[in-house]
This record gives sequence, C-alpha cells and structure tokens, in this order.
Amino acid sequence: MAAENPSPISRVTLRAIGIGILATMTAAVLAAAVSQLSTNPQSGAALAAAEVAIFMLGVTVAAVSGGLWAGVVSALLASVVYPIVESEGHSFHVDFEQPQQLIASVVFLAIAVVVGLLVGNAADERNRATRREREARLLANLSGKMLSGDVPERVMDEFVQVLLEPLGLATCQIAVTLDGQEIEAKAARTGLAPGGPTEVIPIVVSSVPLGTLIAERPAGRRPLTRDERLLLEAATRQAAVALDRARLDARARLAQLDAETNQLRAAMFSSVTHDLRTPLASIKAGVTSLLDLGTRHDDAQVRELLTTILEETDRLNRLVGNILDLARIRAGALIPKRVPTAVDEVAEAVVARMRPRLAGLAVDLQLANDLPEVPADPVQVDQVLTNLLENAARHSPRGGTLRIHIGRADGAVRVRVADEGPGIKREEREKVFEAFYRGRESPESPGSGLGLAIARAIVLAHGGRIWIEETTGGGTAMMVDLPLEWSAEETAL
Amino acid sequence: MKVLVVDDEPQIRRALRIPLEAKGYEVSTVGTGEEGVVAVAEQQPDLVLLDLGLPDVDGTEVIRRIRGFSDVPVIILSVRDAQSDKVSALDAGADDYVTKPFAMEELLARARAALRRAGPDEPPQPTLSYDRLEIDLARRLVTLDGEQLHLTPTEYALLEALVSNPGKLLTHQWLLRRVWGQGYGTETTYLRTYVRALRRKLGDDASSPELIVTEPGVGYRWVGESR
Repeated sequence: MAAENPSPISRVTLRAIGIGILATMTAAVLAAAVSQLSTNPQSGAALAAAEVAIFMLGVTVAAVSGGLWAGVVSALLASVVYPIVESEGHSFHVDFEQPQQLIASVVFLAIAVVVGLLVGNAADERNRATRREREARLLANLSGKMLSGDVPERVMDEFVQVLLEPLGLATCQIAVTLDGQEIEAKAARTGLAPGGPTEVIPIVVSSVPLGTLIAERPAGRRPLTRDERLLLEAATRQAAVALDRARLDARARLAQLDAETNQLRAAMFSSVTHDLRTPLASIKAGVTSLLDLGTRHDDAQVRELLTTILEETDRLNRLVGNILDLARIRAGALIPKRVPTAVDEVAEAVVARMRPRLAGLAVDLQLANDLPEVPADPVQVDQVLTNLLENAARHSPRGGTLRIHIGRADGAVRVRVADEGPGIKREEREKVFEAFYRGRESPESPGSGLGLAIARAIVLAHGGRIWIEETTGGGTAMMVDLPLEWSAEETAL
Repeated sequence: MKVLVVDDEPQIRRALRIPLEAKGYEVSTVGTGEEGVVAVAEQQPDLVLLDLGLPDVDGTEVIRRIRGFSDVPVIILSVRDAQSDKVSALDAGADDYVTKPFAMEELLARARAALRRAGPDEPPQPTLSYDRLEIDLARRLVTLDGEQLHLTPTEYALLEALVSNPGKLLTHQWLLRRVWGQGYGTETTYLRTYVRALRRKLGDDASSPELIVTEPGVGYRWVGESR
C-alpha cells in the first residue's frame, strides 16, 4: 500500500498495532469472563478449549480487519496473555516450557500469518483492481477530451488538469510546438507545494519530438511508482496523438479556406472585370462618337449620347465605391466612427438623394415619432440604407411601391425596407448577403452583387443584425436592427 | 470673377478650368496647399475650389491659414468617405463642399451661391418671399400660404440663421452656437428636434425637401429660392 507519509513508523503500522492490542485485550476479557462462568474444576479442559478459541477468534479478527501486522501483534500478545487467563485460579506464572502454552502461541502466530497474508493479498488485489479501473477511466476520459475536436489549446488545458488528481501531482505542464505555434498548458493543485520528484516525458509523434510533459509531485513526497509512471506515459502518448490530429485538422481547414478564397477571388475578378468594363465601354463609345467630327449628330442624338455617358459614369462610381468598401471590409478596416446618429434623418436624406433613381416607383416613408439616436457612423448608415433601397428598387416591378419603415425594436432602432418584387426563396435568404451573389431569377441584373454584402458587414460592425422577412404580398422585406447601446468590447466583424 | 483651383490632379484642374472659363470666370490653378495659400494672398481670387486630399498640407490647415487673412469663399472638393474631414474643414471656415465625382452644374450652382453671399452687401431685404412662404425679417413674421405661423423664439432664430445663409452648408456646431449660444456645439439632438418641428410648420418634407436639406452627420442647408 502506498504510504503518503514520509515518517518511518507510518500511520498504517500504528493502526495495525492498535487493532492487534485491542483484539487480544477484548479476547482476554471475554476469556476471563468465560472462565468465571464455571467453577467446576471438572470442566477445566472444555473451558481451556473455549478460552483458546476466543483468543484465536481475537487473532483472526485482528488479522482480517488490520492485516498481517495487526494479526502478528495480536498473536504475540495473546501468547503472553493467554497463559495468565488460562492459569487463573490454578497458577499465576507464565511458562513457555509448558507444551500446552507453547502450542497455543505457535497456533496463534500461524493463524495470524495465514489470515493476515490472505487478507493482505485480497486487499492488494482490490487496490490493484481499483487502480486499474481508475487508470482505464482516466485514459478513456482523456481520449474523449482529446478527440473532442476542440482547439489544441483547450484540449491541452483539460489534459493537464485531468492528470493532477489521479497521479497525486502538485503541478503538471505541457509545452509543445505545433506548426510553429507554441502551445503551453499548466495546471496546479491548490494547497500542495510543488518541488517534489519530477517526471519529464517527451511528446513524440511519428518520431518527431513535439515537446515535453512535466509532472511534479508535491514537495517531500515519494516519486511516482512504476505503474503511475506507465500510466503517465500512456496518457502522454494519447496527448501526442490528439495533437497530431489537431495539426492535420488545421492544415485541412487551411487548405479548404484557401480553396474557398481562390474561388471567391476568381468570382470577384470575373464579376469586377465585367462590371467595370461595361460602363467604360459605353462611355468610350459615346465619347468617341461625339469626338468623331466626320459624323454629324443632331441635338437629340448628342443629348442621348451624353445622357448615356453620365449614367454610366454614375454606375461606375457606385461600383468603384462598393469595391472599395468591400476591400476595406476584407482588410478589416471597416471601423465605424460612432456619433449619435438619427437613423430617420439619414433615411430622409437618402430618399431625397435617390429620388431620381427611384423614378417610376412610389416611396412610402414611415418614421416613428421620437426615435432615439443610435451610436453609429452616419456615412456607413447612409451606405446601408442606400444599398438596401437600390436593391429593393432593382427588384421592384415598374410602378411598384417601396415601403420604408423606421421604428423602435427591443434595444434597437429597426429599419424595414419592403419591395413588391418576386421575393427571395427561403434557402436563398442567407446567400444574398454573400459577395457576388446574384439571385437565380436575375443573374444578369445590373447590380454588382456587393450591395447587400457591404450592408451586412456594416451592420455587423455596428453590433446590429440584418435579415430577410417576407411581406404579405410575397415581396422581400430587408430588416436591420441598429442597437441603442454600444460597448467598446464588442469587436467589429 | 476670379476662381482659384487648388488640386494636385492635373486632369481635375483641366476638367474644372474649361467649363469655368466657358462660364466667363477667370481661372488660375495650383497643385499644392502651400502654393494655394500664396496664390490667395497674391491673386485675391473671388472664390477658391480646394481639394482636401493635397499631398503637402492638410486641407483643413490650408483653410485655417487662408482664414488668417482672407474671407474669400472656399468650396471643398472631397471624396465620399472623408466625412469627418469635411466637418472639420467646414468648422475651420470652409463655405461648402461637393463630393467627387460631382456634376459640373452642381459645382457651378454652389459656386454661384457662395459668390452671391460674399458679394457686395445688398441692402438688407426686409422680407423674403418663397413659393408659399414669406418671412418678414424686420417684424419677425412668418406666413405660409398667407397664414401666419406661430414659431417659438428658438424656431425663429433657427429659421433666420438658415435663410440668412442661403445655399450654404451650415454645420451642426455652427447652428448650435448661432442659435443656442457659444457654450453649445455637440447637442445635436436639440437641433434635430427643432429642425423637425420647423420643417413640419413650414410644410417641408425631408425626403423631398424644397427648403431645408439634411446632410447626415454634417448639418443643414437652406435651398429655398427667394423670389
């Protein structure tokens, strides 16, 4: 049995001696009581047998409950006490030369040793079984945690924490280098001073050293037993496997991300090339025909060409603005300059500015009274509303109505921009916020596929949310909540 | 009328000079802020068109230096995203801004309005007449469609501040100090509330304004054309 106490006479030994003494003394008292029961000298032999049996019982009880040493102590004591009790009323002297007494002493000792050894073996077996079960549980627990797919940092944190108690460690730390990234985890048990015997176990995956595990026992305690050390090594191997898996996972994720980025980049290039070249082509065609002095245009033709050039310039400008916004979002530079902003006022200004582009559509602008200001960047809120209105206008039938409603929601100012267009299918609703996504219904629509992506990025940077609802007429309602409260901890994007 | 264009882009300088000269303005151009300040002192132009993104000196600093010796109207040319730059340039003494790319007619209209305000003081008009609105500045009376409007003293002060700077973009800070006093400057909620009330009484719709235009995050502009 593992003795935790460093003193030579352990508590366990003291306990064994105590149990031995107690058992024999109890037996002596019982035997004395039995010898008093009968004064008939004829029954002396039967009485002596009963007394021996009581002492044997005492030794057995001591050996069963206290182990080998308790039995031995009890037996030795019984050898001394038995003759006293036995000779009571006959003679008062202890004489080991008397064969009866000597036999009794040998029998007591034999019982003590046999029972004590049996009990001790059983106890050892039980302890071993308990330990094996504990180890199995620990390893199972660890492998569960290792394979949880959590980030390696957290897995390692759990790992060192789990090892502490079963191995009686004061501290346990792990330090590995994974793809150039250093991961360290350390756990310590409170109330245990570190500085005891220390195990350093290398962590190796496919014969590549990743780092080390350091397990430290409390100051002044014994080192780990061989079994405990084997357990620690088994656990460390599990950690190594888990780390290897995490490393492979990270590589796979990176590769996937890379592929997605490339795909997006390809989509962006083709989309941007097309969208930038189209207005430029119109402008250049218009200007060159106006410059062509050999051809005469009448006033109406000149005006038409110039109008085209102007419209295409505006389109190009909006597109460039969107691409710049997207680049800013990608670069993580979309940081709102927050001032108290009246969303209703911004909406009015956006509608006023967009009137020419909303020609042919009715605009129903409803603003709740006493709307609070929100901490927001007015330029960016303007951008969100402009993009939502452009999107709604693009999907509206001629002569349709755009309904803009701004009101209060729970802890936010809520904007709703509803159109009378064909609506967006439920499964497409998240996708429309992705850059370069164009609805299936209108793959050649004049939008760049950037407006809603930018709107979402801005709304998220403000700690708000954006989503799509269906109108009663089957059209689309773009919803935006801009929070009234803002705390600096909330990170953009 | 002399116009000074301060912009580091030669194409912009050319694109501005040709139509301005066609409108009869005398145009000179420089490419840096330093040259710009010197040119204002030496040429004494009637109007300055100033790019905010100059390579040498910050546009706001250029305005501050010009304001050290001249009241010449300054119109800022800027890109969309430099909102806070616009506000600080306006607060430093610029008269107006247009956002690049701009339509020439818009720039010309802003230029005319700025030149008119800076022109020789016309005898103060006792009354201003608009489509449906009349303002008797001497008697502090406002009528809409012939009916007298009841404005609170603050509303009237706000209206007066706006109509006496027609076409000019008035920043929140400027309006707050002018109407409420020097100690004010950041209480945009007050201002917004009064502008809203004033608009309602004047029958002006902010989403298709004919009198007061909102420049979100910057200020307000009176666009009513007096007869």
